[in-house]
Amino acid sequence: MSLLDYLMIAIRVAFSAFIPLCFVAVCVWMERRGAGFFQDRSGPNRANICGFRAAGIVQNLSDGLKLAFKEDMISDHIKHKFFFVLAPIIVFFTAVVSFAVVPYADTLVLGGKSYLMQGIPVDLGILWFLALAGFGVYGIILAGWSSSNKYGILGGLRSAAQVISYEIPMGLAIVSLLVVYGTVNLNEIAQFQGKLLFGFIPLWGAILQPLGMIIFIVAAFAECNRTPFDLAEGESEIVAGFHVEYSAMKFAVFFMGEYVAMFASSAIIITLFFGGYQVPFLSTDALISYAKPVAFLLMLSLPVIMYFFAGWIRRSNISHYPRENDPRVVEANVYIKCFWGLILLLELILLIILFCKSGGSATTIFVALLQVCTFLLKVTMMIFVYIWVRWTIPRFRYDQLQKLGWQVLLPLALLNIFITSAVVVALS
Amino acid sequence: MGAKVKIIERKGSSLIERLYLIEIAKGMATTFGHLFRNLKDNRNLYVRHYPEVQPEIPARWRGRHRLTTHEDGTAKCVACFMCQTNCPAKCIMIEAGERVDGKAEKMPVKFHIDLLECIYCGYCVEACPLDAIRMDTGIFSVTDNNRESFLLGLEELLATPGACSEEEYKKGGA
Repeated sequence: MSLLDYLMIAIRVAFSAFIPLCFVAVCVWMERRGAGFFQDRSGPNRANICGFRAAGIVQNLSDGLKLAFKEDMISDHIKHKFFFVLAPIIVFFTAVVSFAVVPYADTLVLGGKSYLMQGIPVDLGILWFLALAGFGVYGIILAGWSSSNKYGILGGLRSAAQVISYEIPMGLAIVSLLVVYGTVNLNEIAQFQGKLLFGFIPLWGAILQPLGMIIFIVAAFAECNRTPFDLAEGESEIVAGFHVEYSAMKFAVFFMGEYVAMFASSAIIITLFFGGYQVPFLSTDALISYAKPVAFLLMLSLPVIMYFFAGWIRRSNISHYPRENDPRVVEANVYIKCFWGLILLLELILLIILFCKSGGSATTIFVALLQVCTFLLKVTMMIFVYIWVRWTIPRFRYDQLQKLGWQVLLPLALLNIFITSAVVVALS
Repeated sequence: MGAKVKIIERKGSSLIERLYLIEIAKGMATTFGHLFRNLKDNRNLYVRHYPEVQPEIPARWRGRHRLTTHEDGTAKCVACFMCQTNCPAKCIMIEAGERVDGKAEKMPVKFHIDLLECIYCGYCVEACPLDAIRMDTGIFSVTDNNRESFLLGLEELLATPGACSEEEYKKGGA
């Protein structure tokens, strides 16, 4: 193994492990500010470091610090302290590891060797995700049971029943997908979606399997314990459900685990139904051959986008009451300068791409980076959908939840399999 | 008979509504409209930037108490104990003394209001025969980090000015 091999292993594992963690901050920020804006209020916007509020991200930092320095206590009535501590670890660990098989760029060919761009280069693909997503609920059940608390055990039981009900439609939705794609390998699935239908529609899973997409997304919401399926922690009924006895960092691990799970399931939805890392209309081969025009177009469009973004920052980041020498205007100017600096750096990188030999390793790395950005952008949009749904739809009642799972989604998923198989057999 | 009966049509039974997804899409369009409007221009948010922008306090608002004075600055209070007797929270403690300025026979030597006990019911203001105690200071946020500072004394009560003019206060129905 050469130095490059070790470097690539380190980069890929680091990406798979740290990007979900970084996205926890982004998710929490989006959730809180988004909730504010959905409800016509402003959300957290006061916490600052030397007057810099970073649109409210500093609030996350202060909350994290608070949770880290809080007393980490375990009540005396909890007998099984080992399982009590183990539960949040299971939830968090399974959430992080389930992202490890999602490819975030096409296979990178460097120096004649190809590297699978995913944390753990295995072919298990979607099966790995299904296994770990199902395993995550053990943490929740364990938390509910070891809490020795009525609310806790009710939350754990609800979560268990919910996951059993929704794993089945989810699995069946995946079966019909596998009939279409003919593989469980997520990288091959993403490559499949790089093609074009009739020459102008991206051949995404969403177009091939619209019903499967709806079933999968609904089931994925239920798997993540997100609204409208957040019965496991229904505040109005069972206080906080399974994590009612947890405090400080153990609660924070549950909290982060929930958001990492949301990130991982967004990534899976993107990979299965929305083309994964594929740039729309441009497959990997096309990107490599058209790398220079794409780079040139990006060089032209980035300053234009930044110009409008800067205007938006300047309009938004002001005090809405009379104030002398408004410090928020100064703040906004600093942000705009930082963003322009970032754009300048990107322009330099793109300029280097323009002067490099086309088809060389610089081009392939550029294409991989472009695909990573596309992937993260798509995942962010999917996370936004999660947040959007959360602040729109009220929680289901327990019997409604089970009815939806068994009487609606399950027959629909079976029907979808029959239709898909019939079409695939008829076409082949 | 006589009362108008309005029959409200129950919703949620038609096929389109039972499909959920279309109705959910409509709801999501509504919430997204709010998000988009607020992102475009955050002056549209229905919030008051509170510590910097204070709410408008009407003249009838029952805020923190004060004791009114004559033109020469002496207290109108004659220590009749009406307010103390009426107080349901028993937060007023008066100690009467002899009055030397000739305006009346008695005056308060000590007048304590325990704001931690006070329920801001305004019975003291109602009971006062001389309009000597009022709650028109407009102070609605009473905060501190020790208990002692919540016990208001005579000087403090006399020193606090009213937040509104005499006409406005009278118009408020007092």
